Amino acid sequence: MRQTIFKASGFLALLFGAMLALAGAASANPVRTDHVTATLESEVTAVAPGERFFVALRQQIIPKWHTYWINPGDSGLPTEIDWKLPAGATAEPIVWPVPKRLPVGPLVNYGYETDVRLLVPITAPKDARPGDTLRLEANARWLVCEEICIPEEGVLTLDVPVGPATTIDDGNRAAFASARAALPKPSPFEAAAAAPSTPQADTPLLIEMPTNMAATVAEAYFFAERIDTVVHSAPQKYAAGEKGLTLSLPTGPLPLKSGEALSGILRLVEKPEAGGQTLYFAVTAKPDAALHAAAASGGAAAAQGGGAGSGVGILEAMGLALLGGLLLNLMPCVFPILSMKALSLVHAAAGARRTARAHGLLYVGGVLLSFLLVAGILLALRAAGDSIGWGFQLQSSWFVLLLAYLMFAIGLNLAGFFAFGGGRLAGMGDSLASRSGGTGAFFTGVLAVVVATPCTAPFMGVALGFALAQPALVALAIFLALGLGMALPFLLLSIFPGLLRALPRPGPWMERFRQFLAFPMFAAAAWLVWVLAQQSGPTGLALALAGMVLIGFAVWLARQVTGAQRSWGRIAYGALAGLALVAALATVPVIGSPVVAATAPSTNDGSAADGEWQAWSPDRFAALRAEGKPVFVNFTAAWCITCLVNERTALSSETVRNKFAASGVVRLKGDWTKRDPAITEALARFGRSGVPLYVLYPADKAKPPVVLPQILTEAGVVAELDRL
Amino acid sequence: MDKRSFLKAGVAAMALAGATMFLTGAGATTSGPQVGAPAPAFTAKDSNGKTVNLADFKGKTVVLEWTNNGCPFVRKHYGSGNMQKLQAEATSDGVVWLSIASSPPGYQGHVDGKQANEVVASSGAKPTAVVLDHDSTIAKAYQARVTPHMYVVDAKGTLVYMGGIDDKPTANPADIPGAKNYVRAALNDIKAGKPVSEATTRAYGCTVHYAS
Repeated sequence: MRQTIFKASGFLALLFGAMLALAGAASANPVRTDHVTATLESEVTAVAPGERFFVALRQQIIPKWHTYWINPGDSGLPTEIDWKLPAGATAEPIVWPVPKRLPVGPLVNYGYETDVRLLVPITAPKDARPGDTLRLEANARWLVCEEICIPEEGVLTLDVPVGPATTIDDGNRAAFASARAALPKPSPFEAAAAAPSTPQADTPLLIEMPTNMAATVAEAYFFAERIDTVVHSAPQKYAAGEKGLTLSLPTGPLPLKSGEALSGILRLVEKPEAGGQTLYFAVTAKPDAALHAAAASGGAAAAQGGGAGSGVGILEAMGLALLGGLLLNLMPCVFPILSMKALSLVHAAAGARRTARAHGLLYVGGVLLSFLLVAGILLALRAAGDSIGWGFQLQSSWFVLLLAYLMFAIGLNLAGFFAFGGGRLAGMGDSLASRSGGTGAFFTGVLAVVVATPCTAPFMGVALGFALAQPALVALAIFLALGLGMALPFLLLSIFPGLLRALPRPGPWMERFRQFLAFPMFAAAAWLVWVLAQQSGPTGLALALAGMVLIGFAVWLARQVTGAQRSWGRIAYGALAGLALVAALATVPVIGSPVVAATAPSTNDGSAADGEWQAWSPDRFAALRAEGKPVFVNFTAAWCITCLVNERTALSSETVRNKFAASGVVRLKGDWTKRDPAITEALARFGRSGVPLYVLYPADKAKPPVVLPQILTEAGVVAELDRL
Repeated sequence: MDKRSFLKAGVAAMALAGATMFLTGAGATTSGPQVGAPAPAFTAKDSNGKTVNLADFKGKTVVLEWTNNGCPFVRKHYGSGNMQKLQAEATSDGVVWLSIASSPPGYQGHVDGKQANEVVASSGAKPTAVVLDHDSTIAKAYQARVTPHMYVVDAKGTLVYMGGIDDKPTANPADIPGAKNYVRAALNDIKAGKPVSEATTRAYGCTVHYAS
């Protein structure tokens, strides 16, 4: 009995040993460990000599466990493959798919859960012959972790026949397509990074893109390829600025060195109205030490990036806003207004001190109320689901035009060409002591805020954008602080009238100074006209200049009214002046019309109407459909990242362009950069409120149009065109 | 003139103003241990219930070794005798070697004093003491992320090394003979009165679980 047991156990031991030996040494495919099923797959059923093809190491991982990216993050190790290949064959490094952030307590790993394919390009030997078999042997080692970590390995083999031509394995087509979809896309953006100035400072990373495109980013995160270059677990701040999107990456223990490029994967999430897609780009940022200055001045610190960062408290934000408001007083468009107010105070000081105080407070009230009003409108629009930022006004050309006219008119006033209602603007001169002086002071405050708008937009846009992303009360508080900062000098003067004695005495110099102040206003008007030329093209420019001539003419006519000898002369001059003014203002609604918009230069790579793409318009579209032409409509915008990626990767690929040409499909591009209402309506017909939208209309009008996915692939577009 | 240069020319003054305004907002984000700065202070109990205070070792070089006896990377260096050998070398040179067990209850590598002493005895480890850090206070102060994560503090109390045990980030003991042991190199530099040549390196291993 004892012997039998001994024998049995001996047999079991032998069996077990044999199994162990098999598991340890034998090669198989797939290899199953406790946590991972690893499979080596080939994209081809045969490969031609010397050609490159892809294989994939697939890891099917049990729930809750993960393997790692090339940078595993705070712990862990990336999967490694040692290849044993036939002579002359070569294997390239793993092409890593986009990793996930995997938090472990306060630490963060970068890796893969559930199912991942690691692609490896293999090149067959040149001297292989059709009929040969390539035996690929992969000695793969991976660390698989949940709360604990287990190093596992397997030797996987795969035989790939050599044929006269490389043939794709249809059975694996979908698998490799999904593996490629999981790779980061080549970045359409230039990028630059700088070594941190101190080990404690952030590492700035600039993704170059137009400001309006950067403003569509709802989330940004950079996976640095080299371990410990950035603190993997720390949130990353980002901001939209003049040059693009700047990320502030908290510097890790092994910082980027000066002159070193920064590689990794950038994750961007678009705002819902800009497509709402999550995009991954492979980024190699060239070294650029100049980024530090930019990061310090601009956006990076200002905007705590929508989601990730939360470094600034409300009090700190309010303090910054107060300081910013104070600085607004120095802006070229505001300074003249401010100076006029100061001059009026000098006058008042010479007269009644109480009036000076009252006027100062009224001015403060005007500023604060205007800021509250603007903030209120912005918040109301936000509540209504419209996503806009500070400076949104400048996106509409009619507002820019109106502002340009206002600046021009103020300039004329300051230069002394005319006066508003007997007194000069903002209660200058003798009218100061009159009853209208108080109203004048209040509206000077309002005016100061209005003219500050174009100056603030480029610089305060991001900071105020942050404010707008906060709850309504917080946003209002920040706007109020900004207004308070702007009104602060006069508030102080009102509270301490004694300070007025420090101001220079009134005298003839005031008139000269006032006239001089006309020029910053003219400069501001010139800048706005230039902005307008960008938006509305030569037609818009012509309209604006014509409007200004008319305003000048109206001013001259109005001056003739007082000089006219007879009453009918006064009436005629007055009526003509009114007509000229109306004609000038009539340009405002015209400039927003599609007639003008059509002449505007396209900002979208200038390709809106190149040889292959025609500009979309309801009429053009209807005409093509009436002719029975198949039509592909691409609704896009210069600020839309997904659109850009689709145009670069899918729509402009040679295969797709040839396919379009061969199929006779007419390509229409609808540019929504300026929110063309006709396009908005077309989008709404497909239940969309934003771009991109791709619609393919078959020649047969009885057939329904096909809506393509928001992220296009070359194969997807070709497949739809084939189906026509 | 393109848009950018126009903006630059026209409103340079505002840019300057913006810079001043936002400079105050720019700040440091990392607050972890820095090589060249004083090592974070700590006081804790060792496996024998004795109080260990880092400040008490002023005048001596101190090695901190984060450990978790279940972790394959720790096993790589104990199973091969690599870690014990380094501990013996260091302590015979007068270096204080503190093995720190930070795993909270319920996690791999959690040990009480008795268990810690058993691990030391069975593996033949030669640390000066095994420090129990069940509430992860020391791990958080040093931002220890993996086992083994290694730190060296010099006689003045300055952190002079942090990073990995060696330059071969694998779990395979066969890689030890060809690896460069960063801790040994750092200790040799200190002994020779030189600054540590590679003061920050990549640490590799299992995640250190922090007590919540």
